[in-house]
Amino acid sequence: MTEKKKEEKVYRQLESNKLLQQIMFQYMLEGHQASEENRLAWVTSGFPVEIPVAMGVGVSYPEQYGAVVGSQKVGPEVCGYAEEIGYSQELCSYARASIGSVEKPDQSPMDGLPTPQALLAGNNICGTVLRWYDAVSEQTGAPVFLFDTPPITDGQPDHHKEYVRNGLDRLVDFLGTTFNTTLTDERMHEVADLSSKALELWNKSLTACKTSPTPLNCADRFLAMAPVVSMRGTELIIDFYETLLDEVEMRVKEGLGAIRDEKIRLLWDNIPPWHSIFRFFNGLAKRGVAFPADTYTHAWSGKLKIEGEGDDLFDSVVSIYSNVYLNKGLEAKIDKMCELIDDYNLDGFVMFSVRSCKRYSLGQLVSKEIVSERTGVPGVVIEGDMVDSRVYNEAQIQTRVDALLEMFM
Amino acid sequence: MSKFGIGIDIGSTTAKGLLIDSDMKVCAKHIMLTGAAASQAIDKILEELESQSGLQLDDIAIISTGYGRARVENAEKSVTEITCHSRGVHSLNPEIRLLIDVGGQDSKVIRIGKKGRPEDFELNDKCSAGTGRFLEVMARVLGITIDELGPLALQSDSPSSISSTCTVFAESEVIGHIGAGAKPDDIAAGIHDSMATKIVALAKRVKVVPPVCVTGGVALNPAFRHYLSKHLGTELWIPEEPQFTGALGAAVIALNGKS
Ligand code: SF4
Repeated sequence: MTEKKKEEKVYRQLESNKLLQQIMFQYMLEGHQASEENRLAWVTSGFPVEIPVAMGVGVSYPEQYGAVVGSQKVGPEVCGYAEEIGYSQELCSYARASIGSVEKPDQSPMDGLPTPQALLAGNNICGTVLRWYDAVSEQTGAPVFLFDTPPITDGQPDHHKEYVRNGLDRLVDFLGTTFNTTLTDERMHEVADLSSKALELWNKSLTACKTSPTPLNCADRFLAMAPVVSMRGTELIIDFYETLLDEVEMRVKEGLGAIRDEKIRLLWDNIPPWHSIFRFFNGLAKRGVAFPADTYTHAWSGKLKIEGEGDDLFDSVVSIYSNVYLNKGLEAKIDKMCELIDDYNLDGFVMFSVRSCKRYSLGQLVSKEIVSERTGVPGVVIEGDMVDSRVYNEAQIQTRVDALLEMFM
Repeated sequence: MSKFGIGIDIGSTTAKGLLIDSDMKVCAKHIMLTGAAASQAIDKILEELESQSGLQLDDIAIISTGYGRARVENAEKSVTEITCHSRGVHSLNPEIRLLIDVGGQDSKVIRIGKKGRPEDFELNDKCSAGTGRFLEVMARVLGITIDELGPLALQSDSPSSISSTCTVFAESEVIGHIGAGAKPDDIAAGIHDSMATKIVALAKRVKVVPPVCVTGGVALNPAFRHYLSKHLGTELWIPEEPQFTGALGAAVIALNGKS
């Protein structure tokens, strides 16, 4: 039997992946077109992208580009271009990949991202993004806008909301002057509708994974989340999320799992190792291990429009984008993990401590202990990086994961 | 349950093999340096087990463990050193709840459940501080053999302070102490004290639940045991042959036919 056939046996490909590839390709073309028309902004993953989209500004996501660099297994090279000009290997590898690709586009996947005319950074995910975008600004001359969301520990007081809301007003002014455009109420509502609709469909697919066997495994979700991260608010992606949900619901109805023989259900925490994503998850799938939930793809679930709630979209932007759990205390993430373990009926958890991302990884050792205690299931912390495979030691990871699996046997 | 079981533990420094019968009696065992070619060590171990026991090994189940576990071609399956050490220690002393294994290049702390399965664990396989390698480097700096280091340290009642958690920095601290004229036994004591603190920090991550067992080559070092026990605040239980518990656990699994 060939390797390929064996692979197909343990892991079921999603039909909707074809559509995903098409829209991602179209998205890339749109980015290039926007750049040629001088209306492209680079955006961080937690940025309220609905606003630039509603104002006709095209967007590209350097973090997603980092994932591409990782998946194409050229992380060490492209990050290396940034290191050659003095950036430390300790800097986030998404930042290094993007700075490196601006430095040497012709030696980077897809010739780098299209040139931006503005850089929109939201620090609700981390503080690195600001310095990173400053660096790209130095390289490209594009101005940086910072959407500042101070961390929240215990609820969001009014003065906090007001401050973040002022930031949104400043954003509209900034985009207005930089791109000579305006924001209309009507367009903002249209975009918010589309964004909420995409998120609603996405959430349904995620929740369907409570079923055993799970219709989606980790790698499926990490690929399928790309449009909802980067193209929220556009018409293009609705069709994809509808198709995905149909396929997911069909799998649930027919009792078909993402992997053929699900025996153990685990939670995944953090960004995946893009350079080894299939090797890692499909390798475990062969041993009956599925990942019906993860903390990362569940992070994009905040809908702007909630029926029965007030109509002020900016208020809901303020609340959704400030309450990203990376912007909240560790407790919020611990709660989320415990909730997912209970709701998705999981047997244990794997926490990927990502060398690049201090924001996501800090506190994992403490969290592991608390989550294990609260849920009664064991977990393990593995170390590495999502893009830079130089700091990913497969043998060490294997031992830890194997030891976790042996606890269930 | 079969009549015999073989466990082979290919560690980073030493390779161990053990053959037990259904009464858990050790019929043959062998330990040697792993060297550059793990396959040679494996062949040698099997040869030794065969000649010591006088048995035909072909029909006896083999379970491999250790970092080189995948290299043991005729193993029925490989099981991690975490599970094997737990099972091995449990078969010797079912009371043990925390196992600290300090090997040549790595150290691990395992909380063992009542049935001998690991419940939680932490590994240090990235940094030589807190492993046998740390002691080797320090012995070299002091110009003595590794076997002399422990007994020398026990003569001191005022250990030198070594605060660096990194082997390289600790080495320069030791050189500093030598330069300042500190007594070799005090420096040796400081070295063990510092190493014990690192292991205790690792142990605290999985919770220190007595009774505690120490295994691995470094468990043979009396000064390390002394300082470890002091910092943990509890007595330690040391198996007769602390280097063999991983191989023993693998042999137990081979015997029982499941992990
Ligand atoms: S540090 Fe973490 S949150 Fe920040 S950009 Fe890098 S991966 Fe994202």
